[in-house]
Amino acid sequence: MSTNLPLPTSVPPADPATSTIPTFKFPRDYHFPPFFTRQPTLQTHHAQLQKWSSLILSYCRSHRIFKLSLIDALDTDLFWNKRIGKRMSLADVKEVVEYMRKEDRAEWVGGKGAGGEGGNEVWVWWRTPEEWATAVYEWVDETAQKNTVLTLYELTQSEATLSKEFHGMDSDLLQKALNILVKRGKAQVFGQEDQQGVKFF
Amino acid sequence: MSRKGVGLAAFDRSRITSAQYASHGNNLRSSHSSSLATQLSVFRSLLQQFAQTHAKDIRSNPSFRAEFARMCAAIGVDPLASSSGADGKDGGGSFWAQMLGGSVNDFYFELAVRVVEVCGATREENGGLIGVKEVGDRIMSTRMEGASEITDDDILRAVNTLKPLGSSYSTLTVGHKLYIRSIPKELNTDQSAVLEAAQLLGYVSLSMLTLNLKWPRARAKTAIDDLVSESMLWVDKQCKEWEYWSPGFMLEVEEDGNVG
Repeated sequence: MSTNLPLPTSVPPADPATSTIPTFKFPRDYHFPPFFTRQPTLQTHHAQLQKWSSLILSYCRSHRIFKLSLIDALDTDLFWNKRIGKRMSLADVKEVVEYMRKEDRAEWVGGKGAGGEGGNEVWVWWRTPEEWATAVYEWVDETAQKNTVLTLYELTQSEATLSKEFHGMDSDLLQKALNILVKRGKAQVFGQEDQQGVKFF
Repeated sequence: MSRKGVGLAAFDRSRITSAQYASHGNNLRSSHSSSLATQLSVFRSLLQQFAQTHAKDIRSNPSFRAEFARMCAAIGVDPLASSSGADGKDGGGSFWAQMLGGSVNDFYFELAVRVVEVCGATREENGGLIGVKEVGDRIMSTRMEGASEITDDDILRAVNTLKPLGSSYSTLTVGHKLYIRSIPKELNTDQSAVLEAAQLLGYVSLSMLTLNLKWPRARAKTAIDDLVSESMLWVDKQCKEWEYWSPGFMLEVEEDGNVG
């Protein structure tokens, strides 16, 4: 059927938490061969974009992927169904990401948005930064750690947050979330690179 | 036998006999009709009783429900038609509504709403043509665990309840599969043939059509292109020859190949 496909090299998503997460169940669409080809009909294509968007979101949530590298992801099972031998092209993936960006479910890393065509990495907002900010703040509140200084490392890597969704969160994303709290006047970040601390009010 | 002599002694005997026959016939008829009326009322009350005691089963047990509907159809009563009351026939409308407490009808009406929802939600991906089985599957997947099962038969009946609304919902058969069509559009014979062919393997390709149906290439291409532009086929370009898949096939693809 399929033409010259390179050898299947299974590249698991680079995330330490992967092993602890139950097998991700792909939706049915994932096993539908045309799902991996951009549909020429506008209406169909729109339906396809929606399906891809929700697949990417649930995949990233399940695998705790915060920042998705498109080039790398092309070789993972997310965009490459090896069983039916179909895969997404980079251009099509970018189109999906653009669609997600318009729906506020994704953002190009470093890019302002519209000019993100050349971008490779993308934030996948299965929780928006606002939601992350709230989640972090709630945890601090629950554990009565207001007005104490916490390191950023502590927030995402310590055992105290193991059960939280933001455990293992990308540090850049954490920064984004904290910045939102700072703007709301609920936190203050200080310190140098790698040794930053944060205080919540 | 309250026949009164009419005092027509002059009439010949045959006349009297025929009158006697006629009156006897009348008697028979009236006794028959009264016994039939009794039977009917007994039957009604029994059916009522039956429907009341089994209302829960009718709602929850799909095969029971189908049998009940079939029985009603066999004896010439349509619970759906008579309950809609659109004709304003008091007897029919209220009779069934009273009898079943509206439960059976409500069941179909609720189901009809779900069918409309599913059709609306999937219209973009299938061009308004969706398999009955797929609808049932989608409805089941959104229902609570342990909810009663829904059969194809139920869905077809539910779609029929939409008819009085003058909606565009209808059922049609392509090949051996039943579809619900939610967009008023006729398929021409070529398109039907393509969809039918797509049921076999899930997809068709140009050469499949030209070889098997002996169609000229242009004809096959037109039929396929039409269906693609109606969202009724999805194209897969990652093969030697482009394959055109029926979106209904999304359901039937095996799902055992999940990779962690």
